[in-house]
Amino acid sequence: MSAGAPEFAVSWSGEASTGARALGNEEQLNRFLADVERRALRIAEIAVRDRDEALDLVQNAMIKLVRKYADRSSDEWPPLFYRILQNGIRDWHRRQAVRKRVMVWFGRSGGDDDDYDIVAAAPDPAGRAPEQELENEQAMDSLEQAVHALPARQREAFMLRTFEGLDVADTAAAMGCSEGSVKTHYSRAIHSLREKLEEHGPAGPGN
Amino acid sequence: MMDRSDDKFVKEAKALFDDSVDGLDAATLSTLNRSRHRALEAAGNRHPALLRWVPVTGVAVAALVAVMVIEPGPNGVDALPAGVDDMEILLGEDSIEMLEDLEFYAWMELQDGDVG
Repeated sequence: MSAGAPEFAVSWSGEASTGARALGNEEQLNRFLADVERRALRIAEIAVRDRDEALDLVQNAMIKLVRKYADRSSDEWPPLFYRILQNGIRDWHRRQAVRKRVMVWFGRSGGDDDDYDIVAAAPDPAGRAPEQELENEQAMDSLEQAVHALPARQREAFMLRTFEGLDVADTAAAMGCSEGSVKTHYSRAIHSLREKLEEHGPAGPGN
Repeated sequence: MMDRSDDKFVKEAKALFDDSVDGLDAATLSTLNRSRHRALEAAGNRHPALLRWVPVTGVAVAALVAVMVIEPGPNGVDALPAGVDDMEILLGEDSIEMLEDLEFYAWMELQDGDVG
């Protein structure tokens, strides 16, 4: 039996170190998700115009990231997470289109966009002066509507680069396209947004 | 090429966005927190209970789609032009919610018929 003891010790030590690594990884994942979740929610909400749907999309993206990519390097998590989220948003739009066709078949209107309550979805006050808060909310509403109205790829590029702060390479990885495409979509998005927001008076940024 | 006024626009847009993130209400933050913990807990569960129902739901939705492609709708609407994309979505994991909606509307149609 004496020969077995060291073997057991080595085996136990190996399991303990794997367990510690898993715990450390989970803690890292927890920190990453906690850091990214609020911005991800707002990005998803702007894309689908519904907070509950956006919460579901973010939760699904979290689950998929944890299940499939927990063992990847933490540097890879941001583009992977946003790739999963953007795929989820694209699928959501496709499902909505199919759902609308199915509802029309049943003789029901599928106009979910009409139900979007911009007041209910607006953020709570955060201790700023009421005038400033109102001004910011109006500007954000205008920006949000303009971003939502962009073509899907331009919207993705703009939100990932501007709101999430991903660099061109990570944005390309998240969008599944070349860096050149990211630059084109991003530049077109900015020009389109500026044109639209400047056209509609002082509510948007840059006015 | 981005010019200086584009940079200014981007900075202001980012500031507005960050402001809206900071202003998220407590209930939403709590939901996000729960979602994160659920995701971390789900790491070990490779086969959630929901997936057990997917084959049954898939068959039910496939039958429904087949009827809709062949038959005109109950309200005189043409047969549904279901493409490959539609089938993929309707037979997917997320079609359960849609099936529940359809069951509800089918039930509503029956109620309307009964009342009328």
